[in-house]
Amino acid sequence: MTKLTRRDVLAGASALGLAGLAPRGASASGSMTAAIYPGTWEEAYRAVVAPALKRASGVDVAFDSLFAVDQVAKVRAARGVPPFDCFVLDPGPAAAARAAGLFEPIDSAKLTNAPKVPAGLITRDGVTCNAQVVGIAYNPKKFPTAPKSWTDLFQSPFVERLGLTGFQTTFGTVSLIEMCKAFGGSEANMEPIFTELKKAVSKVAAVAAPAAMPGLFQQGQIDVMYTNTNTVAILKGRGVDIAFAAPASGAITFQTTLHIVKGAENVANAHKYIDVAISAEVQNALQRSPYNMIPINKDVTYVDTLDIKSIDELAKMVTHDWTRINPQRAAWIERFNKEITK
Amino acid sequence: MAAAIATAGAAPAGDKVDWRLATPLGLTYLVFFAAPFLILLGISFYADAEQTRLGLDSWLKFYTDRFYLKVIWDTLKLGIFAVIATTLLAYPLALVYRAASPTWQRVLLFIILMPLLTSVVIRTFAWIVILAREGVVNQTLMALGLTATPLNLLQTELGLVIALTQIEMPLMLLPLLTIMNQMDQNLVDASRALGASKWRTFFRVILPLTLPGWIAGATLVFASATTAFISQSVIGGARLVYLPSLIWQQSMVVYNWPFAAVASLTLLFTVLAGIMALSWLGRFARTT
Repeated sequence: MTKLTRRDVLAGASALGLAGLAPRGASASGSMTAAIYPGTWEEAYRAVVAPALKRASGVDVAFDSLFAVDQVAKVRAARGVPPFDCFVLDPGPAAAARAAGLFEPIDSAKLTNAPKVPAGLITRDGVTCNAQVVGIAYNPKKFPTAPKSWTDLFQSPFVERLGLTGFQTTFGTVSLIEMCKAFGGSEANMEPIFTELKKAVSKVAAVAAPAAMPGLFQQGQIDVMYTNTNTVAILKGRGVDIAFAAPASGAITFQTTLHIVKGAENVANAHKYIDVAISAEVQNALQRSPYNMIPINKDVTYVDTLDIKSIDELAKMVTHDWTRINPQRAAWIERFNKEITK
Repeated sequence: MAAAIATAGAAPAGDKVDWRLATPLGLTYLVFFAAPFLILLGISFYADAEQTRLGLDSWLKFYTDRFYLKVIWDTLKLGIFAVIATTLLAYPLALVYRAASPTWQRVLLFIILMPLLTSVVIRTFAWIVILAREGVVNQTLMALGLTATPLNLLQTELGLVIALTQIEMPLMLLPLLTIMNQMDQNLVDASRALGASKWRTFFRVILPLTLPGWIAGATLVFASATTAFISQSVIGGARLVYLPSLIWQQSMVVYNWPFAAVASLTLLFTVLAGIMALSWLGRFARTT
């Protein structure tokens, strides 16, 4: 039997303790860690992107399941010791992370699939991996005629079955801004939408957390909501009576982007990961059920289960400048809390 | 090996070794609770979200705004309602358990413990299915002709209290069952033999004897209900704002960490105040 001294025991215990306290970031050659949204995104990236990355470059990717705001908060809290190598973000959190200096530069020369992505979707610090389209979701069995505009949501019969959500999410924020414009306001003047919300709040079916909305729709608690086509396709795939309607002023689009975290240990592998994520093979797989993600690779032909026919349609949709939205968002959230609660 | 352990573990007998035994726990407490708490306290004294200058702005904003004071009160009230509701349901069940045969006690204990074996997320979403417009409760009420239109049970304080009562029930029941099992049946029998009614026996004998168990349960339920972020968010919705969801919003969406720190410390002190009130009640009950 091997004789253990106290020194051996203490050394072993120290090593174990230090290993437990070590940051999670993968540092071994041929590996990396990427943050990913929980739910469909995580399933899709585990099932499609991770194997494709392994095949293409032998890199193993570990996923850290976090919402966009949580990713930014976690990296800010880590203060220079990144918990993962790659972000996946929506425009609002991306603008906040950019302002906080949390991104490494992207070297587009390292992305073999860059020419297959429309101009403007690869910037100095981010790469678009997916487009999101936001509009109105409704139950076609309850409403044979779809809502035609944002203002319709505040009229009977829609308002009594409407699910409201606030400014915590990208889709919620941009939808409320477009509603405000429909009532004569703008990003600089949100008064009209708050006036309408105050009038509607006693009539609506629910004022809920964004994550709860699909569940409430599925359970029949609400029959109208504002959401993205991805959520509509997922619920439709589960047999829920749901349809997507683009408002008269146009559907909203925004991009989900991949970024390398400032100070990341695996910058080279993060570039490989991003390159695989925007490849035609991966984008084609991700657009299919049950993932239903709108592709951004020009070589991909859109499947008919998406509520959009081609990448060219995105150019005609409504977009927003998050550098103007972010400074005002805290005040909007606070006001929503105070005025649209019981 | 044994010799090595003996060498490492050898210590003089007596009280002098107490501090050594307490050191791991003390250090853990210091590193994982006291240090983050002090950091949180420090952050709360920044005046702006960017944490560039010191000041009491976050504290003043929180404690001079009626909306945030109402959030504190609503959070406290939710904890109190959960304690009342679980108490009203737990005592009869505990009495039934006490009177049951050992076989039935095992069955009841399994039923009581079952919710603890299920994720709180799943239990919360199950309540959406039960309380929703087209859920079990509304379908039953409409089938029985008791209501023509579905009742709005979700997104209400009532719905949230109903759900929390079920979710937190094991926390109230387990200490209560433990203390009831230790109770001397002769005292109950003596009370009944001396002519006291069942109600009088309950209030004058059973209740005082089981009060320590109730205080333990009430403490757990109060702390758990006031901090139940998932249940509050999913069942209460955005219509009802409580401290946990406010903290999440301010820290994760708005990135106003000083304000979130003030809200966090407020929640901590709110829960501690509730626990201290219950402890005081326990001491008061023992001395009267």
